[in-house]
Amino acid sequence: MKYRRLGAAVAALALCGALIPTLVQAQSFDRPVRIVVPFAPGGTSDILARLISPKLSEAVGQPVVVENKPGAAGNIGADAVAKARPDGHTLLLMDIGSLAVAPSLFSDLSYDVKKDLEPVGMVMFGPYVLAVHPSVPAKTVPELVDYAKANPGKLAVANSGVGALNHITSVALARGLGIDWKAVPYKGGAAASRAVVSGESTVIINGATATLPFVTSKQLVGIAVTGDARLPALPEAQTFKEAKLPLADAGTWQALLTTGKTPAAVVARLNAELQKILAMPEIKEKVAEQGGMVRPGTPDEVKAWLATNIESWGGIVRAADIKSN
Amino acid sequence: MELFDNLLLGLSTALQFNNLLYCLIGVVIGTAIGVLPGIGPIPTVALLLPFTFGLPPESALIMLAGIFYGAQYGGSTTAILVNVPGETSSVVTCLDGHAMARQGRAGPALAIAAVSSFFAGTVATVVIALLSLPLAALALKFTAVEYFSLLVLGLLAAVILAHGSVSKSLAMVFLGLLLGTIGIDVNSGAARMTFGIPALSDGLDFVPVAMGMFGLAEIIANLERNEVRQVVSQKLRDLVPTRADLKAAFPAMVRGTAIGSALGVLPGGGAALPPFTAYALEKKIARDPQRFGKGAIEGVAGPEAANNAGAQTSFIPLLTLGIPANALMALMIGALMMQGIQPGPQVMTEQPALVWGVIASMWTGNLMLLIINLPLVGLWVSMLKIPYRLLFPAIVLFCCIGTYGISNSVFNVWLMLGCAMLGYFFIKVGVEPAPLLLGLVLGPQLEENFRRAMQLADGDPSVFLTRPISAVLLAVVAVLLLAMLSPAVLRKRTQALAE
Repeated sequence: MKYRRLGAAVAALALCGALIPTLVQAQSFDRPVRIVVPFAPGGTSDILARLISPKLSEAVGQPVVVENKPGAAGNIGADAVAKARPDGHTLLLMDIGSLAVAPSLFSDLSYDVKKDLEPVGMVMFGPYVLAVHPSVPAKTVPELVDYAKANPGKLAVANSGVGALNHITSVALARGLGIDWKAVPYKGGAAASRAVVSGESTVIINGATATLPFVTSKQLVGIAVTGDARLPALPEAQTFKEAKLPLADAGTWQALLTTGKTPAAVVARLNAELQKILAMPEIKEKVAEQGGMVRPGTPDEVKAWLATNIESWGGIVRAADIKSN
Repeated sequence: MELFDNLLLGLSTALQFNNLLYCLIGVVIGTAIGVLPGIGPIPTVALLLPFTFGLPPESALIMLAGIFYGAQYGGSTTAILVNVPGETSSVVTCLDGHAMARQGRAGPALAIAAVSSFFAGTVATVVIALLSLPLAALALKFTAVEYFSLLVLGLLAAVILAHGSVSKSLAMVFLGLLLGTIGIDVNSGAARMTFGIPALSDGLDFVPVAMGMFGLAEIIANLERNEVRQVVSQKLRDLVPTRADLKAAFPAMVRGTAIGSALGVLPGGGAALPPFTAYALEKKIARDPQRFGKGAIEGVAGPEAANNAGAQTSFIPLLTLGIPANALMALMIGALMMQGIQPGPQVMTEQPALVWGVIASMWTGNLMLLIINLPLVGLWVSMLKIPYRLLFPAIVLFCCIGTYGISNSVFNVWLMLGCAMLGYFFIKVGVEPAPLLLGLVLGPQLEENFRRAMQLADGDPSVFLTRPISAVLLAVVAVLLLAMLSPAVLRKRTQALAE
């Protein structure tokens, strides 16, 4: 009850902030803002950060710098933000699927995902496509399941690294459907796609942007997609939900976060600016080109999302005894 | 005839005034970042990415591509002049290029590097135009099994690469392999030798190791030697290569181009393999292998040609399949997607002006690089006249900025300093660091591919011999090993070493 009232107060404060310029000054930004991307340049998080930074810079009246801090599956960058000054000048843009599984995957994590990071807002969701090499005689989910059951251990699912969400999805599918396939780790999603196009591995679960071109050119066969709806580019592929597959909401969930214990007013201001940016048509368009859709929303929605998935996705990691350290 | 139409379409795109301008901007930036040690094309392209939003897609890609191959040109300049390899690809150029500079022949070394790069760039452009589709198909035939065999061949080349004792170079290769195991194991997710340091979990970054062992170690050794450095003569005659130089370098250029074009297409090992392999080949077929490492001009021409040809043919998987061959190509994909173009096999048919425009711009870009670089040779060489007490702090400073910039972490700066100490020790005991670096680069890939091949084949090692490409590669390894170990060769080697 107390929290809900606090939330209302925060919302009211944010509203005032938007209406009364003098109040905005109270949460003003007095030095350059950093958006830390905990991966190498060129990935989805990096592109989103570089899309958002000029708009955010205009809004807060300070330069906004994108800083790539790759390493340790995103933990180095996340740790830097977790330990920064809690004043909203250090932001983190990443796939929070990694954050959800990190506490289960790493036994010696140097920060607490729930306490040391403060969500600002979701940015985008990009669905996964489950696709197979044309040598696999299956075009639908039931056909694939039958084939996998008839040929245990024959299918090889490429993933983008031990503990990556597409690895966890493949493990959850194997457990949920009672099938036996090999999980083959690669260094990143691009290497995994290449391996399945060449036929080295036979199944891939990966982002739609990376996978669809190969489906269009008939080098891969698209079988199912995650998310709420079928993809216009792949109308014949069922959603995970329709096919009753586990982890129907797997995919890339990109969110903006900041340091834990950042004052609520500052978080509210950042969220308000983020909502304005996500409503811009050009941003929507560019995000769609990344194979996803913008996800406006409150910080609390991200908090709830993290709490749920630290349990559910993390539970799969613990049950399958996947470890990374 | 379709090829002609395509090339004409490409040239008409590349020769548009604004595209020529963006190409020039790209190659100039590329040359500049190549010359600065440690500041590589990847962060530069990432930084410039937002500026390309407003450009038409072909101009954007032409400029970004220019930065990439321009950096390959520039990287050899620092390697030759101050022995600091800024990129993986210019490590080999250090060996003989810097030896030439020490003999006061920096001018010819730089000129030959530029000419070889131009030659390779021109040929590689034609290769891309003619062979994109078949080469891309061949690259897809390379699975974990074939990669493993190719990497075994590459590592064997490392032993041939070193001058001096075989046992020392073997020891260095193994030390490199060992250092390569640091980090989270790709196959199991287990952290190895990281001592709980998160910065080590992705392994040792190549650039700080190379800059420490080659560049900084060399600086320490120079300061200690207190030798009078070669005063470089400024006469134009000494800046240009002699007819004999060109004659010696030309066949090496041709061989290097062939090796580079072929290996560049393969994703993964791209940057390191072509120059190392070209160098090993030159040394193997040279009448007097003893000259290598002491300023042999073939040792500059071959690897430089290979590295430029490889840089360009690494665009083949990107343009034809939409698959990035390395981190930089992944960035290019990012650039394409920002432009609303889905990278993939359909790009070639849907966006012919873009694909062929970029291919044609590589040739115009290489021509620009040659025109920019040849007159600059004099300028670069005159840099050597700067007193060393001023030059070396500047190099150290740039090395620190460059290594910090790789992942915005101070850890890499400390790593470089540690490697400098180790490199100094190696100079003292007289062992070459080059095989160690090759082990460090190729070792992790060797292990990853071997274990993946085993996982996919259910642990049956016969796949290495039953798959044709792999079998041929391993046969070459066997022949080389036999040749190296046969008594006749061993005797000759001992004789040669005794001289």
